[in-house]
Amino acid sequence: MLKFNTKIILSALVASSLLSADAINTYAVDKTNIDGGVSYPVVNSKTGPYYVNTQSIGMKINNGRVPTKNELKAWDKDVMPDGTGLPEGSGSVEDGEELYEKHCVICHGDFGSGGGGYPALSKGNAYELQETLTNNRWHDPEADGPVRVFGSYWPQASTLWWYIKDAMPHTKSKSLTNDEVYAISAYILSINELEIDGEEVADDYVLDREKFLKIKMPNRDGFEPNIDGPNALENVRKYYSNPKNFGAIKVNPAERCMTNCQEKTAVVTRIQNGGIKDFEPPMSVVRDLPEVKSDGAHVVSFNPEKAYTENCTMCHGAVAPAAGDKEAWAPLLKKGLDKVYANGLSGTDMGMPAKGGSSLSDEEFKQVVDYILK
Amino acid sequence: MDNTKSEKDLEISSRRDFFRKTAALSATALAGTSILAEDDPAIMHHPKWGQSWGDPVTKNRYGIPSAYEHNNTRRNTKLLASGNYRASIAVTPIHESEGIITPNGLFFSRCHGGTAQIDPNEFRLMITGLVEKPIVLTLAQLKRYPSVTRTHFIECPANGGQEWRGPQFNSLQFAKGFMSCAEWTGVYIKTILEDLGLKPEAQWMLAEGSDNSEMGRSVPIDKVLDDAMIVWGQNGEALRPEQGYPARLLLPGWEGNLCVKWLKRLDFASEPWYAKEETSKYTALKPNGKAIQHFYANEVNSTVVSPSPEKPWTDLEDGDIVEIEGLAWSGMGTITGVDLSFDGGRNYVEAKLKGLVLPKSWTRWSYIHKYKKGETLLLTSRAMDDAGYIQPTIDQEVSVMGVEAVYHRNGVETWEVTPEGKVNHVQIRTAGGVKNA
Repeated sequence: MLKFNTKIILSALVASSLLSADAINTYAVDKTNIDGGVSYPVVNSKTGPYYVNTQSIGMKINNGRVPTKNELKAWDKDVMPDGTGLPEGSGSVEDGEELYEKHCVICHGDFGSGGGGYPALSKGNAYELQETLTNNRWHDPEADGPVRVFGSYWPQASTLWWYIKDAMPHTKSKSLTNDEVYAISAYILSINELEIDGEEVADDYVLDREKFLKIKMPNRDGFEPNIDGPNALENVRKYYSNPKNFGAIKVNPAERCMTNCQEKTAVVTRIQNGGIKDFEPPMSVVRDLPEVKSDGAHVVSFNPEKAYTENCTMCHGAVAPAAGDKEAWAPLLKKGLDKVYANGLSGTDMGMPAKGGSSLSDEEFKQVVDYILK
Repeated sequence: MDNTKSEKDLEISSRRDFFRKTAALSATALAGTSILAEDDPAIMHHPKWGQSWGDPVTKNRYGIPSAYEHNNTRRNTKLLASGNYRASIAVTPIHESEGIITPNGLFFSRCHGGTAQIDPNEFRLMITGLVEKPIVLTLAQLKRYPSVTRTHFIECPANGGQEWRGPQFNSLQFAKGFMSCAEWTGVYIKTILEDLGLKPEAQWMLAEGSDNSEMGRSVPIDKVLDDAMIVWGQNGEALRPEQGYPARLLLPGWEGNLCVKWLKRLDFASEPWYAKEETSKYTALKPNGKAIQHFYANEVNSTVVSPSPEKPWTDLEDGDIVEIEGLAWSGMGTITGVDLSFDGGRNYVEAKLKGLVLPKSWTRWSYIHKYKKGETLLLTSRAMDDAGYIQPTIDQEVSVMGVEAVYHRNGVETWEVTPEGKVNHVQIRTAGGVKNA
């Protein structure tokens, strides 16, 4: 691949020399790119419009050092569908449910139902929901759309294990043990009503590495192009060489439509119900002065309500007490305001991350607590 | 307007002729220009900044925009606020953009676990897997490789993705602002691989970030050996944290999500990884139930920037000469032309490209228009690239992709200019779509 195809470069040169002076683009191109586009080989010390210094080609630069075995291992956490990188371990659906309630429910909702701006993990039976993937809301905005959750959509289960281990829980990632990840994975498989090797992942199911590798996701064959095996890259190149596969259109510029080009049935379609306009900050193109402090610095006054909205509302108001819900906060306040501050500042086992996972100062955080209790 | 003729005129005229001619024109033009009844106080009085000391040069060690520009900012919307704004996006005010470069503080920002604040002294980049010699680099060692500087846009493939079923945002910032363009400095990965030696069975590269979400994506080796870069420079300074400080992957023209930020590790293998952001998301579902995975390049696209819903023509007078201006871009190559329609894409005229026309970069274009008070226009732009692609109509695109694809929407966009000069985002399409083209 580092050797450039001289045939292509020659043909590109010939082609560019034939173009008229009016042609806008005369860069030499290689049209065999994997993405269906072009690349720009180095011709006459230039790639496209850019000059390149090729003096270092063939030289050994030898920057950096070889990592130690332990260093390689420490960062080798990726998990592949064939089990490469998947460690031994086990966990039950039962344990998984307990862990889910502790670490996950606060964002992903009861039984993985989602809500509050975090993704749903299940919407019911994965095999039945996989069939919704042909749903398309062409006409009716109220119609059922396709359900794209773990069980119904994801092609590989390895992705789930890997992502939980690397990126979850969202405010304290990389903190779960391998057994805990197996347990939570088992629970998520169960709420999607998935089967492993013909066996339903029921409450008493214990998941381990061997069983995990037998999972076949319902939508395993739902993706194109095929990216597996030794012919993967050739498959991908072939796929993107046909614009019809991905909704693109190629045209000879001289033959493009300039008159009467729209479909006869096309009409002006407007934004419905005012559209989306809850922009933050509100849309404005006015050029005026913002409020300014006496020392000339712009006032960035701390707004507890805004901080609450940005940091707390996904849980508070959904699965945790909302701001202003005096009844819900009363039992907690019995322990004293300082205890409420302290719990918030350092986090709790109930799923409250330290300072709600925010980067607020202690003082700002207390102002948010005051706002919540107001 | 016949540009060809006016260019020719300029060429054959002497400088003196030119000024004589324009002076004569000015005299006649003056009659048509309105004259204020009263003198303008902005001219008649000394402004306060003209009669007192300005700030000392020591004031802003790192310069900031004029305080009057405070509305030129990235913006958010609750619709795209997932993960308490930690798995979210802040979009670029492209209605205020000038030229083809986005200032670093306005560059759009998308993350999956919050913006990581990395100590560059603790930055390490590990390159491992199917290479003859794995290595680990400090930032200083990374920056010691021979570098290249390239201007490229980065676009989230969900740019415009909220509008497959109809227009939703009466705003250019939100309809098209999931993208920005910058001049990047870094090293081609192929330069590093010359030292390490790639094993022949290596087909894929995993790029992983060190952020909270450990963002990972599989990249085919074709791109790695073509123009894939590891970049540390953005418009002449270090990357901003929102763009992956101190180093990110840059795959020119490809989905922004593939350009992994806060880069930590590159791993080479013979099979792809099926990372979360290349399976659960960033896959485009078609009406037959199959989803396109590994959908790499952002296809040819364009938009009218001026006017826009944010920058309407309500202050224009009948007969005013106004420049309709826009951006065009393609992740598959270089823009070769842009057409502009005044009737929603039925009939087109050729617009003019302006300034530098670079591969996989924003490209400016414009068209000079004589405004007629009270006219209704449907402004639609349509770009082409040197890979041979042209933007589809909405109906053409939807007939293949359906309306549930979320990603990679590049059908032509339309602004309606009302008789009052207001600008509305509309779409010209067949109700319910044209199925099975």
